[in-house]
Amino acid sequence: MTEPFVVAQNLCKSFDDKLVLDDVSLELAPGDVVGVLGKNGAGKTTLLELILGFTPATSGEVKVFGHDSYRLPGTAKARIGFVPQQDELISQLTVTDQLRVSRSFYPDWDELLINHLLVDWEIEVTQRISKMSVGQRQKLSILQALGHRPDLLMLDEPVASLDPLARRSFLEQIIEMSAAGDRTVVLSSHIVSDIERLANKIWILKENRLYWGGDFDALKESIVRLHLRGRQALPDSLAIPNAISVRTSEAYATAVVHDWTETLGGEIVEMTGARLEVEALTLEDIFLELHR
Amino acid sequence: MFILKPHSGVPIYKQLFEQISRMVAGGQLSPGTSLPSIRELALQHAINPMTVSKAYSMLEAEGILERHRGKPMTVAARPGASATPAARIQQLESHLDNLILAGRQLELDVDEVIAALRTQWEKDND
Repeated sequence: MTEPFVVAQNLCKSFDDKLVLDDVSLELAPGDVVGVLGKNGAGKTTLLELILGFTPATSGEVKVFGHDSYRLPGTAKARIGFVPQQDELISQLTVTDQLRVSRSFYPDWDELLINHLLVDWEIEVTQRISKMSVGQRQKLSILQALGHRPDLLMLDEPVASLDPLARRSFLEQIIEMSAAGDRTVVLSSHIVSDIERLANKIWILKENRLYWGGDFDALKESIVRLHLRGRQALPDSLAIPNAISVRTSEAYATAVVHDWTETLGGEIVEMTGARLEVEALTLEDIFLELHR
Repeated sequence: MFILKPHSGVPIYKQLFEQISRMVAGGQLSPGTSLPSIRELALQHAINPMTVSKAYSMLEAEGILERHRGKPMTVAARPGASATPAARIQQLESHLDNLILAGRQLELDVDEVIAALRTQWEKDND
């Protein structure tokens, strides 16, 4: 087994006395593409910032490339790329000058990739950044983070202002990055459809805790909606094991359950005497059901 | 080449696995046919390469695909045991489950659903 890039153990973070992340443990292996989901304020940005070492943990620890993330040596930092929610471009510069600044930090700057993307994403290099649209700035911000070919790329809401063509081209870059299996991408986004395509792992933050921190396919196989049809009216307070939510209407009920197995289905049929059908849920459904 | 729906409750690897096994069983993909590389297929459908690789590995384990060093995967010479009609029908199961679920929700009986299926089937053949 290859060493994981990121290992967090019992990570907690408070600002003043407000708990923002509570007891988060997770691992990130080379080749993973992780989709981070959570309502606004669930702690997504804080989690990314802890991994990036922008802020120290209140308790617990997070190791990146084997080092404490808050005391990351320069050689390890150079292996990380980050696209923040608010870009950190220098408005007075032109695109060319901004890229020259970024390139000066990294010996392994991939000029070929950058030139290709500048053309592909229709970024005018002589343009001053202050004159660029939000979408154009976002593209440049992503491009900058790709230039040094990071082993670990973290993106916080990177695609909200991209047009569909630029978004697809961005997705292709992520796929190219992950295809060799030795680099990792963490993508926090409200655009569930991108995460559905790209992610093999999902982190769902709910009420400042990590509700799910693992395999995406396993999540889809774990949380399902059951349709129950009784011969007569089902009790209003139907006790379904592992239920996240239950709705009953006379002889018909639906229930969303976690840790679904055929055995669980058998138990439910035996308990209720109802006929049971299982509906698979999309990532969006799962997320909504968890937040009802 | 394949129809994949990322916005679905069915994991993408499973969609791909089922489609390829169906196409092999039905003869649309004949023995020896090369499949796109993992990277190609991932880019074509904008999906995670690991998802493709997971489906390919499962198909290899089932004896449906064969792996060749440094070359594309191909449909196996005698693909698995999936050639009998019973085995092919078994591959329809998850789709039938969905159809039954929808039919029951719409309070249709089995004959009405079969009649609708037949109409649609014949329309598609035109």
